[in-house]
Amino acid sequence: MWGHYLQSLMASLPFFFKGLGVTVQVAGLSLTIGTVCGFALGIARAGRVRAVDLALSAYLDLIRGTPFLVQLFIIFFILPEWGVHLDAFASAVLSLSVYGTAYICEIVYGALQGVGPGQKEAAAASGLTWLQQMRYVVVPQALRPILPPLVGQYVLLIKDTAVVSVIGLTDVTRVGWLTVQRIPNGILVFGLVGLMYFLICYPLVWVSNRLETRLTVEESSL
Amino acid sequence: MLETFNFRVIWATMPQFLHGLGATAWISLAALVGAMLVGIVACVMRLSGRRLLIVPAVAFIEIIRSTPLLAQLYFFYFGLPALGLRATETQTGIMALALNSGAYVAEIIRAGVMSIPRGQTEAAVASGLNLLQRLRYVILPQAIGVSIPALLGQMIVLVKDSALLALISVFELTRAGQLMASERFMPAEGFFTTAVLYLLLYFVLKYASGQWQKRLIFRPAGGL
Amino acid sequence: MIRFRNVNKWFGPLHVLQAINLDVARSEVAVVCGPSGSGKSTLIRCINRLETIVSGEIHVDGVPVHDPGTDLIHLRADVGFVFQQFNLYPHMTALENVTLAPMKVRRLKAAHARQLGLDLLDKVGIHEKADAYPAQLSGGQQQRVAIARGLAMQPKIMLFDEPTSALDPEMINEVLEVMIQLARDGMTMVVVTHEMGFAREVGHKVIFMDAGQIVETAPPDEFFTRAQSERTLLFLSKILTH
Repeated sequence: MWGHYLQSLMASLPFFFKGLGVTVQVAGLSLTIGTVCGFALGIARAGRVRAVDLALSAYLDLIRGTPFLVQLFIIFFILPEWGVHLDAFASAVLSLSVYGTAYICEIVYGALQGVGPGQKEAAAASGLTWLQQMRYVVVPQALRPILPPLVGQYVLLIKDTAVVSVIGLTDVTRVGWLTVQRIPNGILVFGLVGLMYFLICYPLVWVSNRLETRLTVEESSL
Repeated sequence: MLETFNFRVIWATMPQFLHGLGATAWISLAALVGAMLVGIVACVMRLSGRRLLIVPAVAFIEIIRSTPLLAQLYFFYFGLPALGLRATETQTGIMALALNSGAYVAEIIRAGVMSIPRGQTEAAVASGLNLLQRLRYVILPQAIGVSIPALLGQMIVLVKDSALLALISVFELTRAGQLMASERFMPAEGFFTTAVLYLLLYFVLKYASGQWQKRLIFRPAGGL
Repeated sequence: MIRFRNVNKWFGPLHVLQAINLDVARSEVAVVCGPSGSGKSTLIRCINRLETIVSGEIHVDGVPVHDPGTDLIHLRADVGFVFQQFNLYPHMTALENVTLAPMKVRRLKAAHARQLGLDLLDKVGIHEKADAYPAQLSGGQQQRVAIARGLAMQPKIMLFDEPTSALDPEMINEVLEVMIQLARDGMTMVVVTHEMGFAREVGHKVIFMDAGQIVETAPPDEFFTRAQSERTLLFLSKILTH
């Protein structure tokens, strides 16, 4: 039985690769948007304007306090009620971007906090404007500590794209879901789906691990 | 848009939502207990210094961390029957959540273990405790102590992750919203109510995490 | 009781113990001193195999410590160890620190272990702090708890690795007094310390180490008055002026 299933699974391999293409597209697009917006909002938050701060913390709590699935449903099912019509692909990219932006904003803001106040004071003392202080002094120093959690966050976001399969986007997870109706062996079908994600995510997990161990000293004995 | 928002229906279906909230809470809690067990075992194996234990532990942790929870959930949901195993949707869901979070808990506790000064192990070694006793009485209590805020963070993740169980038709909070959307055609009422109740759980856990950090009874390093 | 024969150890390229020979008899108190980096801590840590040696033989009460097959749990139960940084378990009270090993290794009943623990805390003079956590104790008190913990397995030998060098000066004496009492009771002790008053009062022999070698071994009177090697004299001139 398993051999037979494996054979039909191999026959549908092109279908899986098409799904993988959709996953990569959705992930690539929303990661790019999330990174750009996340950096912008993270830097804005470091400006310590009260109204901005309040608005951003509310946004962050809303995103971090609810499941991504619920956010996706809200964008996909409720926006049309309000007259905004998006197809599945646009809904997926929009919701992933809004979601990713929140987490990346927090990472950027946290790293900016880590740059000592003396740096900004020194830059301010030499007459740089706030934006110049950020651009030339603070942000460049924060980039190194941003990198490991940012790569880690990318992995989480790529994995979260699997959820958009439920609104009918034919990504690799949905391909698996459709295939398992035909080839009723979840171990094989979702083993293959998992393998495809693994091939994308593991290199990033590895990079993230490497970046982190370079910052901290490993090794302890029990 | 608010004028069309039907609060009366939300009020009328509140018992169903609260039922879903309760289910989400207990499912997450059960999964957290499972994740702690999985995580402690994986962490101890990883730090054991024996290749035979390290390799499977690392493989488990990295595979879980490199694949989506939804794919893992479907793997078990559609996969267990292929192995001739029978489990309810809820059992399958809790198992998938526990294994998934277990990999993250293993890493959280490992970070905790790393933060325990080497002298603690040496003192325990010098008084003749064996590896398991050292872990049980000296290292893990301290490592878990310093990891509590991170573990509460993982609990928040679990509450949100458990939403995916709605997709294998486990009745919980998201499923309650989904039912309202599909049976009464009221997605706005359904999903906003769901979101508000998740936020409630989130703020309770966030508050607890903050409180705990304020009153850590012992500092990790004794002496000096 | 303790016998080193031609013991060698390297840390990477560093030859930290060079052909060490050493004998400590029952009820003898040996004081090990020397400049930092001389290998004295490594020497004492080899006795209960916190460090493993590369070549040579170490026997403790007849047990071959260098032999990989030796039952370490048994050996370590017979050898108490006191650390420079105390290394008390921060999540346990003073009493729990003392009773953990007797209960888990010796399988003592809780009530019995508790009595033993209280007696030992009494012996080191902090009976009243039994239920305090380490963070609530001063450095001197913590180190005395650590000594009680070391004694809890009723060891035949006590090892002290610079027990007073992490302490504020006013707390050093309370710890030394406990150690002096222990020596007078006939405990076999190896003490790495620069407290020469202690050496003079209860030490039977002083061992001076430098650069991984034992340079000089002598009874205290002789060591302080008639030290022979130049390195010893230089070292003494430094620590005695303090």
